Amino acid sequence: MTSAIDQINAAVHLVAPELILVITVCVMFVTGPFLVTEAGLATPGLRKRWVALSLVAIAFAAYAWWGAPVEPSDAGMFRTDALAWYVRGLTLALGAVLAVAFIDQIDDSHAAEGQACMLAILAGTNLVAIANDLVVLFLSLELVSIPTYVLLYLPRRGDANREATAKYMLLSIFSSAIVLYGMSLLYGATGTTSLAGIAAAQAHDPGAASLLTRMAAALLLAGLCFRIAAVPFHFYAPDVFQGVSSAAAAMLSFVPKAVGFVALLRLLPLVDGAAVADSAAQEPALRVLLAVLAVATMLIGNLLALRQQHLHRLLAYSSVAHAGYMLVGLTVGPGSAPVSGVSALLFYLAAYGITTIGIFALLAGATSSQSPMRTQTDLAGLSRLHPAVALALAICLFGLTGLPPTAGFTGKLNLFFAAWSAGTQLGRILAISLALNAAISAWYYLRLIAVMFLEPPAEEAAPAKLCLAPAVAGAVCSAATVLLFVAPQWLWDAAARFSP
Amino acid sequence: MTASIGRLTTPASIFNRLHAWLTDLAPPLACMPLEFQQLVLWLIPAAPLAAAVVISLLGPKLLRERSHWPCWLALAVSTACALVLLTNIMPQSFEGGDSATGVVAVGYPWISIGEMQVRIDLRADAMSTLMLSMVTSVSLLVSVFSAGYMHGDRGYARFFAAFSLFVFSMAMLVLSGNYMQLFIFWELVGLCSYLLIGFWFQKPSAAAAAKKAFVVNRIGDMGLILGIFLIWTTFGSLDFASVLFSPETLSQAATAHPGRITTICFLLLAGAMGKSAQFPLHVWLPDAMEGPTPVSALIHAATMVTAGVYLVARSTPLFALAPDAQLFVTGIGAATALLAALIALTQMDLKRVLAYSTVSQLGFMFMALGVGAAGAELATAGATAGMFHLFTHGFFKALLFLAAGSVMHAMGDVIDMRHFSGLRRSLPITHWTFLCGAAALAGVPLLAGFWSKDEILAVLHEAGRHERVGGFFTAIYWIAAATAFLTAFYAFRAYFMTFWGPQRFPPEAGHHPHDAPPAMAWPLRLLAVAALFVGLAAAATHWFARYLAHTPGMAHEGEHAFHIDLMVASGVIAVAGIALAWFMYVRRPGLAASLSQAGRRLYDLSYRKFYFDELFLAALVLPLRAFAWLCYMADVHVIDRLVDAAGAAPRVASRLPRLLHTGLVSNYALMMWAGVLAYLGFLLGLIG
Repeated sequence: MTSAIDQINAAVHLVAPELILVITVCVMFVTGPFLVTEAGLATPGLRKRWVALSLVAIAFAAYAWWGAPVEPSDAGMFRTDALAWYVRGLTLALGAVLAVAFIDQIDDSHAAEGQACMLAILAGTNLVAIANDLVVLFLSLELVSIPTYVLLYLPRRGDANREATAKYMLLSIFSSAIVLYGMSLLYGATGTTSLAGIAAAQAHDPGAASLLTRMAAALLLAGLCFRIAAVPFHFYAPDVFQGVSSAAAAMLSFVPKAVGFVALLRLLPLVDGAAVADSAAQEPALRVLLAVLAVATMLIGNLLALRQQHLHRLLAYSSVAHAGYMLVGLTVGPGSAPVSGVSALLFYLAAYGITTIGIFALLAGATSSQSPMRTQTDLAGLSRLHPAVALALAICLFGLTGLPPTAGFTGKLNLFFAAWSAGTQLGRILAISLALNAAISAWYYLRLIAVMFLEPPAEEAAPAKLCLAPAVAGAVCSAATVLLFVAPQWLWDAAARFSP
Repeated sequence: MTASIGRLTTPASIFNRLHAWLTDLAPPLACMPLEFQQLVLWLIPAAPLAAAVVISLLGPKLLRERSHWPCWLALAVSTACALVLLTNIMPQSFEGGDSATGVVAVGYPWISIGEMQVRIDLRADAMSTLMLSMVTSVSLLVSVFSAGYMHGDRGYARFFAAFSLFVFSMAMLVLSGNYMQLFIFWELVGLCSYLLIGFWFQKPSAAAAAKKAFVVNRIGDMGLILGIFLIWTTFGSLDFASVLFSPETLSQAATAHPGRITTICFLLLAGAMGKSAQFPLHVWLPDAMEGPTPVSALIHAATMVTAGVYLVARSTPLFALAPDAQLFVTGIGAATALLAALIALTQMDLKRVLAYSTVSQLGFMFMALGVGAAGAELATAGATAGMFHLFTHGFFKALLFLAAGSVMHAMGDVIDMRHFSGLRRSLPITHWTFLCGAAALAGVPLLAGFWSKDEILAVLHEAGRHERVGGFFTAIYWIAAATAFLTAFYAFRAYFMTFWGPQRFPPEAGHHPHDAPPAMAWPLRLLAVAALFVGLAAAATHWFARYLAHTPGMAHEGEHAFHIDLMVASGVIAVAGIALAWFMYVRRPGLAASLSQAGRRLYDLSYRKFYFDELFLAALVLPLRAFAWLCYMADVHVIDRLVDAAGAAPRVASRLPRLLHTGLVSNYALMMWAGVLAYLGFLLGLIG
């Protein structure tokens, strides 16, 4: 039996990118307060330096990531494989955009803490993907959640912000408890916390403690559905999105979803055995439940988004709907179909992440004290005030709708093919409801484009100054969605390398 | 490489020297001629794309009046690469013997999901290379002309961005190796055409013309995409290599699904008819003259509109199996050629004369493409003649349009020939170059149009000897001959009306109309040289036909003979048409007016374009409007009521979610708890 320190030593090379991030987090937390006076004042422009430091840390982490092997390698607590490689690349790339998007959202005196929380969240997301143990997995989930509470609270923009943060914190803690309960049941059923050990135990004796495993499946699914904002755990989303800043909403629309889906991809195969159908002809109950969730989530998200005037609320419901689309991929699973649902899900996760973060970054860029981008009417005439921003925003909205020439189209096409080629009735129902929902969603996305390009600006005020860095980051995202449409294969190959 | 040192003057040898020089610089490059080949191929579309991106990003703010530079540079690169391809790379691949694949620059798989595999590759063979060299060189000259013509326009940068994007799309279309890629860029050239017709979108007529072009093209594209679907279901592939160039697959498909190939051909033809403005979908092209004149020259005369001809010629192996479709191709071509020529006789707008002339000449190309119906051995000759006319027409029609643009430039944007005349002294460059173009169009012996039109007449004459469909082709032959006569007449009618007679200027022109500035004059001169000599160089030596015979899927032709009798006949026709025009518009200027008075009905029929717009209005637009009105009424009185009711339903239904969306954390937690219980119940089998 090796000692704990040996285990850690052995694992260090597996988590090098996360170590870099966490060390930077420590540096920021420790030095940050010393650069602020007792009155809470900081040198103007200090926040830009913290953003630069974040970007440097992300660059180093990305360097470590690029060199990391894709082949599965195992060191007790951690296990890297193609999924970990993919998720790391995605979070680091989008993390850089998020770091830039936060630039003007948190004032100079709190920028260090803000950027540190952001990096901690990125590290946590990556650790979820490489955890090989229930305990590590739970800790990684909390490494995402707890900094999120702080990050949401830091801008301190009035009561709405505080209310949103408190709501998110309370409900998130509740969901963590549910996940923890599910994990403990799983431990009870198999007697080990190691994911590999649980899989081995389930394979050894599929029927053992079936009741416990089923309960664990339900609880884990429920707890993680809060993260991905699936029905009926989506209630917090619109309220919280409405209260927080654009950059925070960007983070909330992508990171928890990535975390939730990655954790589900890791955990569901472990409990799949418990939920097998009674007869071979029947679909497994877990799969039926996932399908129901997928359809309900996309439908409710889209229907409620139809009537929203507030941009963040609208995008919150849109993020609910997209969780439904991605659940289609999860439902189909790796399967024997020519197109793997898991690969389609991972591809869509990237396409969605780029697009939604791009939108929020562009909103952050166009927001200023004179013209807040809060409701739909604030977008009116954007094409005349800031044509480039309007164009980039329109491309991203095309992406969310799933129209060419954007990655959103390719992603939806993949999901559709995955569901359709599964060859089951369930798959066809999912494919058709995916297509129908995409059509419904076009209504509210395209309406935003119409407002931007067809309606005149509200008043003849001088055009508000653009906050350049987030706008550029958003424009890069929108260019990336077009690029991914033109050349999607490399991302698809990276996504398809993972097969559970 | 040593072999070509003797021929120092050819572009190939220049390229070889450049290559040798590069060899010293970068040995690995020379070690991989394949990679160099790919680089050349990729540069052809990539350079204009890069220019389009650069101009659209930097143009309005930074480049402004210098926006033409990236475009010029990119098109020069493209043209150079296309010439290298034409003179060096393709001939090398012919020597390899196996020309079935052509030269392929490997791209990447664009969509590869399950069974559906669509690649983006560049594939060049003899046919696409010939077309590409015409497209790039004409685009280069037109872009130079545009810098002079568009000078001072507010949308200068926008013009060159769209222009570069068009050349990119057109190059990608011609370099497509499968039908899907072809379709994508087919649509993209359509989009560029829309953007450029509506370039002066403040003018309602330009916006309407752009819309019309877009809508009419969609009708054809509907057929094209259905044809592509049908190819997919029949062959299980969209690659040219596996659909067109493997005779076994073709014959298998023909026996397995009798009639299917004919259906595919008709559907593809629908797309080709829309893009190439064939009757009855020709109505958009004359209106498209609302765009800037260089656009008319490039897109609506030389390049984009010939994409339909290219599509049919490219699909020759398919059409060879569908004689009915081929008869239809020829019939439609003849009808279009004759009709458009008759309309062109009376038009007063110089650009419209040229537009109808384009429609008519495209009809000529279609006539040639269908002669395979009179025997498979004629299919290749027909496709060759059609492609050759496409090639020469690109040069002289671009020349005519640019010269017309030069007239327009000098006359203060007046283009109605009734408002000016006798310009030959004040606009000498324009006059001489227009004369070259008109003579080439009319088919004056030894000029470009003469050779290509003569080849078309020759294959039609040949097809007339077929025992079953010979009668049909003989009739077509006489229609073609009549159209050639009309062509010569209207070309020189426009020439004499514009450049002869008493010198008159419209008030818009100012006192001293100035001839083309150098940026406009040099493209005109170069194109005039091409119009004079490209036919002689390419046809008299049979170079074009021999080159094109290397295209995979084209059966090799035997010998190339001149039909002296036909040549003499078509020469006589051309000269007769010109003489008549001279007699009517120079010798007896009043004759035309009195004739048009005498034949008022006929004149009006032609002048009003056979009432096609009115016919479309009555037959299509008005019924559709009535239907739209009906729908509107139904919408307001029935659907809206239903929608209101349905709209109330979500409001009622959303009362439940709204009850749940209280904003109170405790309620949300309760809902989550209910969710947990529901999940548990479902998985434990208690629910459902």
